[in-house]
Amino acid sequence: MRRLMAVALIAALAAAGTAAAQERKVKVGVLKLTSSAPIFVGVEKGFFKAFGIAPELVFFQAAAPIATALAAGQIEVGATGLTAALYNIVLQGEKLWIVADKGREWPGYPLVGIVVQRELWDKGEIRSVKDLRGKRIGLTTLGSTFHFHLGNILEKEGLKLADLKVIPLQAMPSTVEALKGKQVDAIMVPQPFPGRTEAEGFGKILAWAGDLYAWQIATVFYGKGFAADREKAVDFMKGYVKASRYYHDAVLVQKDGRVVPGRNYDEVVQITAKYTGARPEIIKIGFPYQDRNGRLLVPDIEKQMTWWVEHGFMKRAIPLKEIVDTSFVEAAIQAVKE
Amino acid sequence: MSGARVPVEDRTRFLERRELKTTRVLSLIGLVLLWELLARIGWVPRLFLPAPSSVAGEAVEMVASGELFRYLGSSLLRLGLGFALGALAGIVIGMAVGIASLAEAVVMPVIAATFPIPKIALLPLLILWLGIGEPPKVAVIALGVFFPMAINSFTGVRNADPLLARAAVSFGAGRWSVIRKVMLPSALPMIFAGLKLGAGTALLLLVAAEMIGAESGIGFLILHAQNIMETTKLMVGIVVLSLLGILSHWVLTRLERLAIPWKHN
Repeated sequence: MRRLMAVALIAALAAAGTAAAQERKVKVGVLKLTSSAPIFVGVEKGFFKAFGIAPELVFFQAAAPIATALAAGQIEVGATGLTAALYNIVLQGEKLWIVADKGREWPGYPLVGIVVQRELWDKGEIRSVKDLRGKRIGLTTLGSTFHFHLGNILEKEGLKLADLKVIPLQAMPSTVEALKGKQVDAIMVPQPFPGRTEAEGFGKILAWAGDLYAWQIATVFYGKGFAADREKAVDFMKGYVKASRYYHDAVLVQKDGRVVPGRNYDEVVQITAKYTGARPEIIKIGFPYQDRNGRLLVPDIEKQMTWWVEHGFMKRAIPLKEIVDTSFVEAAIQAVKE
Repeated sequence: MSGARVPVEDRTRFLERRELKTTRVLSLIGLVLLWELLARIGWVPRLFLPAPSSVAGEAVEMVASGELFRYLGSSLLRLGLGFALGALAGIVIGMAVGIASLAEAVVMPVIAATFPIPKIALLPLLILWLGIGEPPKVAVIALGVFFPMAINSFTGVRNADPLLARAAVSFGAGRWSVIRKVMLPSALPMIFAGLKLGAGTALLLLVAAEMIGAESGIGFLILHAQNIMETTKLMVGIVVLSLLGILSHWVLTRLERLAIPWKHN
């Protein structure tokens, strides 16, 4: 009997040993958008795997539900846009941490496009942001990144959100459909949707939103439990920093305002096309900018919260130290050599 | 030889239906208290289930800022318009079908064929036809109310006692007079049953309609609160909807008593 127990014990220990050597699974919530490319690259090129992390991608339809799923513990890492929902979740007592850059709206790098009806463009009715006054603008939801971005662009141009009619249409595909069906005059959608509307002939890209107002639109964020597992959280970030550098060097390097394709340009285009389901020509329109090392634009987070509070979407701002934690990305940058 | 009666326990007493009024009230209060307690001790995160006290606080704030009335106003307008249009059309067509056999032959097959369509499924089509805005929202509510009203009015007229109609005619009543003084009153109980049914449907469709392309209304409030994760506001929306349901039922019951006094004596 004792021998039998000893054998069982050894077997159990051996099993535990192999389990530790196995890759650690991490559930990552993402959208099927070009801006998720660094994550896709990290998965496809095995950058996460190199640090013993096996990301399991969970696809969502919109950014806000990713924050909710993170708070509910259904996923461990979120990689998507910063919405009023995310801030409100933290405001209501659920902890989560904004840890790294995952895409900025940046001049010269197409991400979200303001697309108008081809007909209205041809007639010369809408040729600039100012012409949007009094028009119907479709976007996913109020409180979304698009809403924030539109508001800031309008305010820069001396207009207000109240000067036009913002129509929430819940999902990106239905937003595109509303433009096609002429139920709205213009829409705000991220790549690859603007490229598709032009390719299909019913839309005309009025402007890339990043050219009009730059901000930290998307980030990587950690759930409370995941952030507490320090080693695993830093290992994930090591893979992410590696993927981020690979992505940056392949598709983001510019010279004289034009992208100079890096050595791995075509590979990144292919990977992004595969995950987003868009054709490579449309993906080639452009990739969103992000810091080469995944470093955050921290002051912008505060600016965003201030805007949401001013517009009645948040009750009050959250102190930065309670929502931003850059220690993971800094530790990873230190650890991952060029 | 025992003449004395032995009292036997009534063993069917447990089947007796008692009212237990206090228990009914206590059950409701108990539920709210339990919910408050669970939220207070932090067993459920307040993000997912806010305490009743904070929902009430939020409601007070929303009333004070006028936000709630703005939402409620646009919802009531849609509800009122849609309900009135649907109910009026339903009563008129239902009664016509019940009285004239030509109308029945023309209209009944159409109603029978279109009645089973879930009205919510027509919303995208209505938006395509009428555009994003008020018309499709009012139209879908009107459609939802129309069917139960038409069918109930028809049944009500059919159930009118033919003897009463004959009696009225033999006393010299004209056609219009028979319809107004015999058929309509006979159909009224069924019509009110239809109104109550329609009110429930209208509320359901209102919320659904306000969740597509709306920027005001209680349905919008609920969806918007969910979008920006303000759960307390979401709960306020739900509470307001249930109050709206209770209120409409109460008003219709009152109206019914006024319109059909003979039924409640």
